Amino acid sequence: MKKKIIAIMLVLLLICLTACNTGSGNGVSSNASASDNNSGTDSQEEGGNATAEDNDPFGKYENPVVLKIGRSIDPLQVYPEGQSPESNQYTDYIKEQLNIEIEVIWSAAAGNDYKQKVNLAIASNDLPDAMVVENAQMRNAVKADQLEDLTKAFDDYVSPVVKSFFDATDNQAVSDVTFDGKMVAYPNTSVAASGIHNMWIRQDWLDELGLEAPKTMEELKEVAQAFLDNDMAGGGNTIPIAGPDTNGKLYANFLASGNNTYGFDPIFSAFQSYPGYWIHNENGEVVYGSITSETKDALAALADLYASGLIDKEIGIRERTEEIVKAGKTGMFFGPWHAVYSWLDVVQADPTVNWQSYLLPLDSDGEVNLHMNAVTFSYCVVRKGYEHPEAVIKMANLLVRDEQTFDVSVLPVADYPLRVNNAVRDECEFTVSALRDVLNGDKTLDDFTDLEKQVYKLLVSDINAVKGVKTEPYDDMNIANWNFDGDNSTAWGRTYALLVGCGPIVDTEYNEVYSLLYAQTPLMESRWVNLKKLEDETFLKIIMGIEPVDSFDAFVDEWLDIGGADVTAEVADTVS
Amino acid sequence: MVEKPTVASKIFDIFNLIFLLLITLVCILPIWYILMLSMSDKLAVSSGAVGLWPVGFNLKSYTEILKDSRFWTSFWNSIMRVILGGVIGILAIVLTAFPLSRTKAEFPRRNFFMWVLIICMLFSGGLVPWYLNIKNLGLLDSIWALVLGGGLQVFNVILVVNFFRNLPKELEEAAWVDGAEPIYILFKLFIPLSLPVIATVSLFTVVYHWNEYFQGLVLMSRSEHYPLQTYIQQLVVPASAENLTEEQMLAMATLSNEALNAAKVFIAMIPVLIIYPFAQKYFVHGITLGSVKG
Amino acid sequence: MRNKRFTRQYYLLLIPGFLWLLLFSIIPMFGIVMAFQDFNPGKGIFGSPFIGLDNFRYMLKLKDVKSIFFNTVFISMLKIVANLAVPMIFALLLNELRYKKLAKPIQTIVYLPHFISWVVFASILLNIFGYNGPINTILSMFGVDPVLFWGRPNLFPYLVAGTDVWKEFGYNTIIYLAALTGIDPGLHEAAALDGAGRFRRLLHITLPGIKTTVILLVVLSLRNVLNAGFDQIFILYNPLVYSTGDIIDTWVYRMGILNMQYSLSTAVGLLKSVVSLILISTSYFLAKKFAGYNLF
Repeated sequence: MKKKIIAIMLVLLLICLTACNTGSGNGVSSNASASDNNSGTDSQEEGGNATAEDNDPFGKYENPVVLKIGRSIDPLQVYPEGQSPESNQYTDYIKEQLNIEIEVIWSAAAGNDYKQKVNLAIASNDLPDAMVVENAQMRNAVKADQLEDLTKAFDDYVSPVVKSFFDATDNQAVSDVTFDGKMVAYPNTSVAASGIHNMWIRQDWLDELGLEAPKTMEELKEVAQAFLDNDMAGGGNTIPIAGPDTNGKLYANFLASGNNTYGFDPIFSAFQSYPGYWIHNENGEVVYGSITSETKDALAALADLYASGLIDKEIGIRERTEEIVKAGKTGMFFGPWHAVYSWLDVVQADPTVNWQSYLLPLDSDGEVNLHMNAVTFSYCVVRKGYEHPEAVIKMANLLVRDEQTFDVSVLPVADYPLRVNNAVRDECEFTVSALRDVLNGDKTLDDFTDLEKQVYKLLVSDINAVKGVKTEPYDDMNIANWNFDGDNSTAWGRTYALLVGCGPIVDTEYNEVYSLLYAQTPLMESRWVNLKKLEDETFLKIIMGIEPVDSFDAFVDEWLDIGGADVTAEVADTVS
Repeated sequence: MVEKPTVASKIFDIFNLIFLLLITLVCILPIWYILMLSMSDKLAVSSGAVGLWPVGFNLKSYTEILKDSRFWTSFWNSIMRVILGGVIGILAIVLTAFPLSRTKAEFPRRNFFMWVLIICMLFSGGLVPWYLNIKNLGLLDSIWALVLGGGLQVFNVILVVNFFRNLPKELEEAAWVDGAEPIYILFKLFIPLSLPVIATVSLFTVVYHWNEYFQGLVLMSRSEHYPLQTYIQQLVVPASAENLTEEQMLAMATLSNEALNAAKVFIAMIPVLIIYPFAQKYFVHGITLGSVKG
Repeated sequence: MRNKRFTRQYYLLLIPGFLWLLLFSIIPMFGIVMAFQDFNPGKGIFGSPFIGLDNFRYMLKLKDVKSIFFNTVFISMLKIVANLAVPMIFALLLNELRYKKLAKPIQTIVYLPHFISWVVFASILLNIFGYNGPINTILSMFGVDPVLFWGRPNLFPYLVAGTDVWKEFGYNTIIYLAALTGIDPGLHEAAALDGAGRFRRLLHITLPGIKTTVILLVVLSLRNVLNAGFDQIFILYNPLVYSTGDIIDTWVYRMGILNMQYSLSTAVGLLKSVVSLILISTSYFLAKKFAGYNLF
């Protein structure tokens, strides 16, 4: 009997422990008062910024400020001697310049592992002082009232250059992170070019066959067929067109609207189809791009290409598309300007490999349609109650100002803590024009204003590098006219990506198509997973010929039935 | 043998042999393949050129591993986990199994506890409560989270319970007559007789701890606390591009060294591959489920 | 009284194990209430609003839920049957091997794949059955077109079960071998004297002799009917095979962990546990009735 009582009390005690800790909100880390929203100005006992007037965007704290963060890491990254994800040239720099001590309390591999870690942190109500999250995660954290209000910190401390990035988005960036009048996160400001998907093609293969880059879908098929028939890769290994791998997407969608390497975005656009985006149909009604008839046409074309053996047979299954592309088996793929950024080893291994890019194919009206990316998709959040929210603003300011001084060959700038890329929307286009002017001799470094040099943060280093990396003739982009030896090897990737990748963006006229919405609505939170799964499965099956193209119609009906119609109504409501 | 082998019998024997050897070969193949990958040239591995023999034979992957401190740290973490987890696990399993192996007459409450075990094996609050619980116990990011987090392995308990129940009753009865107590019976009598099942359960526990990667991922905050399989999982399982920012994608676009990964995987297999043959002779006895007598 | 003192000792012995169970299994089990709540992390388990059976109602409306339960049961049944039949046949064959010296090495080697983690084994499998992998190469030598193995929903469950057998049959073989060695050789000799050939001896002596082992293995494997193998399937599957390959655990993972639908996934998990309980109780009852095997 006595034992029973003891046992029961033990259980009750343990339940209490669990209850108490789960309910109070901040678990293991510091206990801040939940009610204090504006701790930015109140708690000034520690940090050095004692007065409200002293809002120096680059102000060094008198006393060290500790900032505990969670971060994503690349497991393949090799850290130089003495450096690690927790302590490296960037954390040292931040300590030196701002007197902020970065403490990495957890890390996970970029991708699903990191996503999982963040979700768990939110679910267990145990956020680090700051971390970078996605849109849905930010919304979840807002619902759980876990985020610090950054409005004042932002207004007081953002540097003029960074502010200009935000202004260039027409206030979209700020409103993306504002809930109930409060700014709950510090977002990135995306570069338009990263949402644009080019057609990348092996110019050397085209030249060998005496062909031109295909302008229409018919020409695209012919060129691909020529690649296959002539076995350009040798050994029967030719895969004319590469597609998404097992973790890739057929097209960028409204929730992940850019950087879709190895997708088929331009092909859909060529049919004026915008799957994954919310658009208006001819009647002006809000509709989800994936259920329109134009999408059906695009799928039919892709199915035809697949059936003809022109698209990689293993799309959706292959572990890494990058492998076949870099191994020289592929003639064509679609992706953003920076797709070739890190391909130094490819050209060094074989200097005849000549990848060029175009904004093609054209639609039936002879025009180029591009779906554009969201202004923000990456958010730095600060947990509620942290005493120095302005610290993250200062770190962002610092990065923008000093990025060009970093030696990224030692450690890529992705290792900069809490990095959300802030750039001005037209960074690529401006830089390309500037480089061309410099190459023509029309301008030199001094012809650019100080403000421009700050706003276009890598302009100076780009201009300094270009003449070494690019050889004459300057307007010929073929690989033979590039120099990637010795000192030029570091700069080659970016410069090539800019001139060859962004070049067409500057030169080509195109129609911009924006999604009506780039974030989830409340109903989507529970419905979207299943709707998306249906979409992904069906489209892949249609393209791969497992289902006939006409099963698209059944798909549309089912999609509307299992929640699509409701979600569409909600979206229409939200955007009106 | 009493009978003379018939022709049909002889033919059968030959086919049998060939068949069994083929299957055996097929079982070795995956391990062989990894070994071949690990000793091949990195570019050959990425383009899928490696078959049954190394292409561009070299041992660079292995020399690189010797230099990779993160690999060895995780290796050591796993060793610690296996030792602690193994010892604690076996102790708990054996101690728990003994009372449960008693009959209802000897230990009236036994069925109740048995049911509790079964319920625990089947029901769970899911990832979040489990994670929250470990967090509240203050064990996050410590080796104890990995050692204890998986809970008592009920299946192993059942194996031992079963084994105990099949030990000859006469032994116990003789001991009782001499005035022995349960604890004495367990430690001095049963355990020495239970080497087979203890070896079996030990191996299961060790292999479980060695191969487990998910807990390491979720419970460890710092990558230097990762156990070996978690470390490997990060390398081997491709990251989903959807959740990467542009910067991460740029940083990650280096050609991964698949040959090196294969070497890491191979080394991770070695400890288990070595222990197993030694423990093997105990299995045959250890896994009897009371059926042999039945 | 002797019994009282003994009982105290039994309780004492149970303490470590049950304390461990209490702390790490029982307490988190209370989290099951999440299945009946609209879980909000900010409010925690004890503060989130209670919504009764709403999660279950929604769950039953989802077409997915029916298919994941079906897939799970189908794949596990395939595995259970295959993992019983194959090792048994293999053990019988091994037992009949004339060259006894080879038996031990063979046994040791076939057990090896069991020790490779699925993380590793599955990626090798993706390679082997890949479009340009060795299997397709062999097929093409017979003039068969390459097959997209991992993209065919009708093949997927069989691939999953088959590769699982490949990995695990060595373990089960040992159990059968143990049972086989337990059969009294005298029976075989007597039968041989009476003129029974190898095959007849197989039918009338060997098979009945391992009957109880077979039944026990069936019973014990039933507990896994709803665990179709998360680690394995998670790495092997892709959207093309969701219709036959998505099991309860992978769905719960995507919904719960990646998409933060905690309440919903807990509800599905709870359903799974309840069904498992029913299955296990049934199977143990059957074991008791037909094999006299008493877990309790």
